[in-house]
Parts: sequence; structure tokens; C-alpha cells
Amino acid sequence: MISLDDIRGLAALARLKLTGAEEENLQKDISNILEYVGQVSAIPAAKGEEKPMVRNVMRKDELSAVLGTREDLLKAFPTREGDFNVVRQIIQKDE
Amino acid sequence: MSNLADLTIAEASKKLAAGEITAVDLARACLENIEKHNKELNVYLEVFDDVVVQAEAADKRRAAGEKHPLLGIPLAIKDNILIEGRIASAASKMLEHYVATYDATIITKLKEAGAVFVGRTNMDEFAMGGSNENSAYGPVHNPHDISRISGGSSGGSAAAVAAHVALGALGTDTGGSVREPASFCGVVGLKPTYGAVSRSGLIAMGSSLDQAGPLAKTVEDAELIFNAIQGKDAYDSTSVDKGTYPAPARTKKIGVPRALLNGVDADVLERFESSLTALEHKGYKLVDIELPSAPLALACYYIIMPAEASTNLARYDGVRYGLSRKGNDLAEDYAASRGEGFGPEVRRRIMLGTYVLSAGYYDAYFGKATAARETLRREVTEALKGVEAIATPTAPVPAPKIGEKADPLSMYLLDIFTVTANLTGNPAISVPMGTVTREGSELPVGLQLTAAHGDEQALFTIGKELQ
Repeated sequence: MISLDDIRGLAALARLKLTGAEEENLQKDISNILEYVGQVSAIPAAKGEEKPMVRNVMRKDELSAVLGTREDLLKAFPTREGDFNVVRQIIQKDE
Repeated sequence: MSNLADLTIAEASKKLAAGEITAVDLARACLENIEKHNKELNVYLEVFDDVVVQAEAADKRRAAGEKHPLLGIPLAIKDNILIEGRIASAASKMLEHYVATYDATIITKLKEAGAVFVGRTNMDEFAMGGSNENSAYGPVHNPHDISRISGGSSGGSAAAVAAHVALGALGTDTGGSVREPASFCGVVGLKPTYGAVSRSGLIAMGSSLDQAGPLAKTVEDAELIFNAIQGKDAYDSTSVDKGTYPAPARTKKIGVPRALLNGVDADVLERFESSLTALEHKGYKLVDIELPSAPLALACYYIIMPAEASTNLARYDGVRYGLSRKGNDLAEDYAASRGEGFGPEVRRRIMLGTYVLSAGYYDAYFGKATAARETLRREVTEALKGVEAIATPTAPVPAPKIGEKADPLSMYLLDIFTVTANLTGNPAISVPMGTVTREGSELPVGLQLTAAHGDEQALFTIGKELQ
């Protein structure tokens, strides 16, 4: 069984704020799910002779997709000042 | 005909072409049914306010000489498919007010065809679930018994077709999310070959698994929608064209992996056997096949999918768009936005994905699952060299009651037959195979056919024999 500390560590890695009750539920659920999916350890490794599903696809480095106007994208900002997205200051002056 | 919305797409298309009805008539018929049923079924998260205007435009295009089987046909669109200028929320609080800034490629294609978009359909949040109970906006109710789930995650799209509040629908399928609700709602659902349909403009869950596909009343209708949306797309580098895969031989053989059918309900298995017998009468030969790794498919899927989903969902940080909450510092801003914006199942899968990708566990889980996936793909490809399609039930049971599958693992087991096609990239379809009775309700169940990569045609040909 995965520990509560592990759950808290995962939540921190995943940038998720959880409540105490949810931490306990997740401890149980994730342990059960991991026990089930752990079956894959029984599988022998692939022989490597098959054509893999992934392949490289190259394209010219040209602008083609238009995924919305500038104004549409600006409108999605949670906090907007003029044409700027207001974000938290993360660089601080040395004291 | 009590209501024009009862028509199939093929029937409506003929009537439109003959000038017997207009697109506006069809749109109004759907709106009338929505008025009657949507509150009870919770199919649509939003019915667009310009449905009749879109239909008028389609009628004008027809009057100007345009022809397309989908011109003027009202379709329901799953809420994770972008339509420019409209909300696409993936049934999540995270994207409740998010307005799409461009059209998904499949939407562009449907607009070119002249389809009418009725509204955006309810779904499991971020397409994570098999019951539609994970929607932030409440579950969809099954039109055959409203105390039961519609299936999911494309539950709204499946129920929309079954309840005649659209003539057809688009869904997305990452582990069965088109086929399983199609089975539970008694409609046809197709998961195309991976890459057959562009993923550009879909809200991503598991990028190596996701495919958009049609839900429809008949196989013929599903084929009409598939033909309109398929094709290689410069905006999706994983998309393929018709020449990518070799044309398979027409053997008139259907493979049945009987060793996998142990956990299927007895009456569902009876429907399955009688459908197989019907196919034999149509000249198909049944062949026993073995897929030795298939029992591990679900375990493999529940490693790969959360790994990809947790990665894809890292983009929702409350900074550029979507729900934004503030804490004491940037890390707290992220955690607060994501903690509040995502529902319980989404949080669970992000946590699971984070676990299987963490250093120390990666080889044991993700590495093994990737190897298992390749083995499974080889087994399915080998099996399909001797047969045109593999048949199984779509799901082991008919639609459970709302709230019945409270434990996440028991919910995941509904996907036992559907995840394989996503892992291997093969096309698969669910076609109704009759009904079974539960507590006095007649509940539909579906038969799943899986074909070789690029061979949707086999699914359509055999699927039509089952109707």
C-alpha cells in the first residue's frame, strides 16, 4: 500500500491541492489500481521486430496554423491589463 | 413519421435532396425533442442559439446547387471538440468559460459539408470515465432507462442520437468512449484507425490513444460521417492517408477470441452468439482465435492513459486561460487552480500518471506497459491476417445504474473489450445486437468488430449485415 506521505509527494509533483479526506481516498484508490495494473510485470518484453507505432514526421518550418486571432487569445487571460496578461512576480530583489 | 428527427441521416439526406423537407424543418424537429427531453436526460450542456440560422444557411447552399450527404443534417458535438467562438469546456469547471479560438479540423470539414451543429454534449470531465458520472454538470441519463448511465465518456453524444435530439453526433474515443456509450444507448459508434481522423482541435487526453469518431443510428450513417471527417491533416502529424496501410484480403472470416469472454453476462453472451450465427447465415465463417496478451490490455491501458493524460493536463495552470485561483506564491496558484478546476476522477488520473512516470517506477510500469502494447499490437495484427474482423461484445454488461459503479476499478472494468483497439491503433465499431432485460427494462447491448489498420470498410460491410 502506498503511504499518505507518497500521496502528498505526488500531489506536490502534480501541482494539485488536495483535502485531507481526499488524500485518504486516493491512498486507497491508487493502491488498488496499482495492484491491478502491476499485472503488466508478467509480460515478456516485445521482440522488437515489428514496425513501431511511432515514427518521425518532418515538416517545413513555416507558419501555417492560425489558431485564433490575437484578440481572441488575449480575451482568454484570467487577468488582463490592456494587452498584457497579469502574472505573479517571481523574481525578487536581493534584500 | 411522428417527428423528422426520427429519420436516419441517409433518409433525411434523400428527402432534403428531393426537396420534400428543408434543413430548417429538421433543425426544428430536433429543437422540439430537446424541449421535451433534454432536462430529463441532461444530454446537451448547451444548445446553440443559432441552430435555425445555420439550417437556413444550409438550405441556401442547397438552393445554390451544393450537394453533400451531410448538408443540412443536425449533429451533436462532444464538448471537447473546438468550434471557433463557442465554449468548449470538456465538461470541466477548469474550462467552464473557455471560448475556442479556432475550429478543430473535423469541424472545418463538417462546416464545408454543411452540417448543422445543434449543441455541445455532456461527457465525462476531460473524457475520463465510462459512465458520464464524472461530468462537472451531472450525469447523462440513458434514454432507455433514465435510472441508468448513458455510458461514457461520449455519453451525451450517444444519448443524443438515441433520444433523437440530433441525427448523428461526434464523440472521442481514448479507451472505448465512443463504443461503450453506443452499446449502452443502442446506437452505432466507430473508433477509426489511429490517425485516420485528425486530432487537431480536440482537447487532448491520451495523445497516442485519442481518436474522434461518429455516433449514429445506423452503420450507413456512421460511414457518411466518417467519410466527411477522415483524411490526412497537416495540423496532426500522426494523421494517415488511405495509402498508409495495405489493402487487406477479403476472407469472409470473423475471428472470435472465446478465451476472453468469461466475465460476460450470460444473456449478453446469448445475444452475441445469435449475432454470430446471423453472420454465419450471411456467408461468414467463424474462426477461433487467440490473443494471449489481451487479458493484460486493461492493465496496460490504465498505465499508458494516465501517464499521457497527466502530461497533457499539465497545461492547465490558471495562468493563460481557464480557471485561475490565487495562493501565497506561484506554486500555490497552480495547486489551487488545478485542485479546484479538476474533478475527483481527473485528479485521480493525474496522480496515477504522475506515479507511473516518476523516477524509480517508470521501468516497472510505463516501460512494461509500452512493451505489452507492442506485443498486443503484433498479436492483433497477426490475427487479422487470417480474418477480416475480430468480434467480441462491446461491454460485458448492459448499462449499470447511476451510482452503481462507485469504485474506480469496477468502473474501469467496463472498458475491458474496448481498450485493445486504442492500444493497437486498429479501427473498431460497436453495432447494436439486441437487448437484455434488467429489472423490467429492455437495455441495448452492442457487438464490437475490430479490423486491420485502415480497414474501416470491413467494419461497415460486416456491420451492415448485423442490422
